[in-house]
Parts: sequence; C-alpha cells; structure tokens
Amino acid sequence: MTCLNDIQIQALADGEIDAAAAAHAASCARCAERVRDRAALMAGIQRTLDVPIDVSPRLARHVEGIFRLKAEATEAAATSVDAEAGRGATRLRGSGGFRLQAEDRRRWMYSGLAVAAATLLAVIFIVPALKRADATVSASEILAKSASQLSATIASGIEVLEYELVIDGMPKDAMPDQVDGTYRVWQAIDHNVPGHFRFASYTADGRMLTSIAEDPLRKRRVMAFTSEGQPYRFEVSLPSNATNMSLPELQRLHMEASIAMMQANGNQLLETIDGPSGKLYRVEVPHASAPGTNPVWDLSEARVLIDARDYRIVEFAVRGTMLKQSYSMSYKLLNHTIAASLKPDAFEVPGQAGEIVIKGGGSTVPTHDVVVLALRELTKLKQDR
Amino acid sequence: MDTRQAAAQTARDLFEAHGAAVYRFAAVLLHHHQDAEDCVQEAFLRLLRHLEAGGDAANLRGWLFTVTANAARDRFRRRRRWLPWEPAHDVGIPPAELPDEDGRLKIARAALARLPERDRLLLALRAQGLSYRDIAAAARLRPTSVGRLLARAADRWEAAIKKDHGYDLLERHSNPGAR
Repeated sequence: MTCLNDIQIQALADGEIDAAAAAHAASCARCAERVRDRAALMAGIQRTLDVPIDVSPRLARHVEGIFRLKAEATEAAATSVDAEAGRGATRLRGSGGFRLQAEDRRRWMYSGLAVAAATLLAVIFIVPALKRADATVSASEILAKSASQLSATIASGIEVLEYELVIDGMPKDAMPDQVDGTYRVWQAIDHNVPGHFRFASYTADGRMLTSIAEDPLRKRRVMAFTSEGQPYRFEVSLPSNATNMSLPELQRLHMEASIAMMQANGNQLLETIDGPSGKLYRVEVPHASAPGTNPVWDLSEARVLIDARDYRIVEFAVRGTMLKQSYSMSYKLLNHTIAASLKPDAFEVPGQAGEIVIKGGGSTVPTHDVVVLALRELTKLKQDR
Repeated sequence: MDTRQAAAQTARDLFEAHGAAVYRFAAVLLHHHQDAEDCVQEAFLRLLRHLEAGGDAANLRGWLFTVTANAARDRFRRRRRWLPWEPAHDVGIPPAELPDEDGRLKIARAALARLPERDRLLLALRAQGLSYRDIAAAARLRPTSVGRLLARAADRWEAAIKKDHGYDLLERHSNPGAR
C-alpha cells in the first residue's frame, strides 16, 4: 500500500477506523508520525473549542420551564379530552357506527382544542421565556403601540424634529443634489395650522442642500435646492383647492405602513438594549415580505429602535423595492421637541447667495411645479432672443 | 410513568448530560452568548417534541447537535441580512472570561472567527467528539466528504494562527507549561 493521503491521515487521527489505512500506519514510520501530528492538532483544537463553560443558571431555568410548561400544557389538554370522553350524549347511543363517527369528530375537535390550549400556554409562558430576560411584551405589541403613537396627532404646538437620513437606491438616484445619500434633516411642523411646515436638509458640514416650506394661510410654497453648484429658489402660489397630503403626512404614512408590514410578519426578533437615555426596544424583521411579490412596494428587511418610555421611533431602517427598484432608508432621530412657538423666520426658506428665483402659480405636486416653471422660464428666454 | 413524563425526563437527563456541550457548540458558531442560549432552548424544545412524538431515540446526542447547528445556521444567516446599524447596538454580550494565561486562546478564537462558516461548524462538531456520520448529518454533507473538509478546516485554522501570530496551536497543547 502506498503512503496515506491527508484524508486518510485525518480519519485515523479522528478515530474513524479504516483497517487497511491503520495497518499501513502501523508499518510506516512516516505515516504514523503524520497521524500523531494530526491527532495532536485535533486535540489542540478540541481543547480550544470545548472550553469549560457551564450553562448559566438562567438558561437552566428557562429550559426547565420549557419542559415543565410543555408537559403541563399537554397534560391539561389530555385531561380535558379524557374528561369529555366520559360524558355526553353520544356515549349513550347504541349505534356503534354512529358512535365511532361522533367520537372521531369529537377527537378531531378535542385535538384541535388541545393544540389551541398548548399554543396558548406556549404563547403565554414559553415564548416569553425564550425571549430576553427583561422583554415582557411582544414585538407585535410594541410595534402596535409605536404605530398608534405615530398616528396620534399632536393637537397643538410646533413640533421640531432633527434626524439623520441615509437613503440609497432609487430615491437617492432621484435626488438633484446627488450627494452621498446622507442628510441631516430639520423639520418644523405647525400643528396649530395643518399643512404649515418647513423641511430642510443639510450636509454633514452644515451646508443647506434643500428646503421646502408651505404656508396654507398665505397660500404659498417655497422650495430651494442647488443643482450643479447653482442655487435655485421656486416661489409658487398654492391653488385654492389644495387638499393634497403634505410631506410630513407622507413621511409618517411611509413609516406607519412599514411598521404595519413588520407587524404582519411572524418572524420578528425582539430585544431590549440600553440606550443613552434609557431602555430601548429593538425589533428586527427579516424578509417582511417575499422579494418580488409586490411590484409596487416590497419590504425585504426592516429594523426599528423604539424608546421604551413613550414608544417613539428613535431609529428606523428599511430595505426593499419600490416600483421594482431597490431602495433603502435609514432614519435616526437626533432631537425632538414640541414648542409653543418658534422664531418668526423658522418657517421661511433662507435665501442663498446667487440664487435664481423663479415665481409662478403652483399645483399640489411640488416636483411638477419645478419642472413646469423651469420649462416656462426657458421658453421665455428663447422667445426673448 | 406515561410517555409524556418519560419524554420530559429523558429530555431533562439529556440537558443535564449535554446541555453545556450544546451551549458551548452554539457559542462557538455564533459568538454571541444570548443567541447561543436561544439556540439551546430551541434545540431542547424540539427534542421534547421529538420524544413526545415517539421519534427515533437512537443517538439523541447527535440529533441535538444537528438541531442546534441548524438553529445556529438560521440565526447566523438572519443576522447577516441586517442593514448596518449603530455599531454600539450591535455588540453582542461579551463572552464569559476564560482561563487564558498568555492570551493564546483568545488568538486562536479570533482566528477561528475568521474561518468560513462551514469550517467553524465542522471543527466545533468534531471538538464535541461527534463521529463523521453525525457530523455529516449536522452539516448536511456526504459522510465521505467529512474527513477531507475537516482536514482542510483544521489546516486553515492552524495556518491562520501561524500567519497572524507565528505560534503553533500544537506547541501550546502538547506542552501546556511552555511559555
């Protein structure tokens, strides 16, 4: 027999006996040496990996809880079946055929009840035991509370939000500024006047990228952005019948809809973590919907970090497809306050040096206005030549 | 003792005998103690169901490692799909301190963490003393491939340690007193 190959050496070192190979190793000093070396290596690996850590008392308690509760659930269900089997009208009937049929049906029903009872017990006792020690509510409950917190309208005051927004994919490609997709966003939403708001986005170094403000009382919208180094400002009058959804509402709806999709998924992972200002819930949902099933909007992954004190969303990240184009969005709340009033110019879009100002009548769709007004200006210029 | 009680008792006995090994195995695969604990709970819950349903009771130790490997694989893959998040939040609970006089154990584990998932799985299964047949079942491989893949995994681990730190895993374990 020729000398052993690496696989045979490994097998012998691992005690997987191959009689012919073992016989060769016994008679060949070189192969015997290789087997010894390999066995020593494997012993080293074994010592490194199988370190003496015991199970924690907490884990032992949880596993024992699983055994006990599972047994109790099964036993309770079985007792209920046994008790029910001893009484009822079908027991008195003489017809064997009917009785068998009835018992079959009843058995089916009771086994259904048993499954329901076991499931209920598992949900009430076992599932919480499987979660982190301090997680006492389900991911779905937390998401529901967070969603209701989102949709709860603030009755009055001015809400000021600052957050970091990172977008990628389709929405980033659509952005005129074409930066790296990371924005610091400032928003002021006037809850005393529905539809009155100003949004502004900034680069990391504080340069304003875009800003949009709407004032339904003055029927006015102002938008500012920079394209290829040239700042533009569009001032439009709002149509009198403007009943469109404002940007804050659209943003809130996107978040609410994403959370609803996360809730619908049965595969949520929940854990509590310590944040800088207290406990946070982290809910993660992998593949909230199968990729490609919805051509309009599909969420493939989602994560949300929720403040345990008030169920406010602190961080939010989703990845999916919109109109079959991939996108991702990550939101991180930096600051949130509700003030009685703000400085008078807080809702004004600041002017920028050298900006081109275009004015005109607007519609309910801001992007449409930008295109139409820009084209109108271009036409005017051509005609003036 | 009825079947349910017998199943629960068998599961308890198996947890007593192999719970720690299963936990260590899951911890090696996942590098995260809470995830490892979840895997252990999942494995023993499945074991109980398996026994109650009258499943095959031969080689339950191998069965446990197979189920744990599958649970760990699911968790590992699920974890990899997440978007980048705040790094501060993504740090798992650090593993318990181990006796590691000269830090070589830490080095060996760091090198192991860089190996492909399958290598880690094979080495961790072998470290628990599983036969090639059981390893094949847990790693979803053909039994005839186990020796070859295991040999390569061991070589890769050893090479990674030697390359980065210039020490031989063998030296330490063949002569534990050496510094």
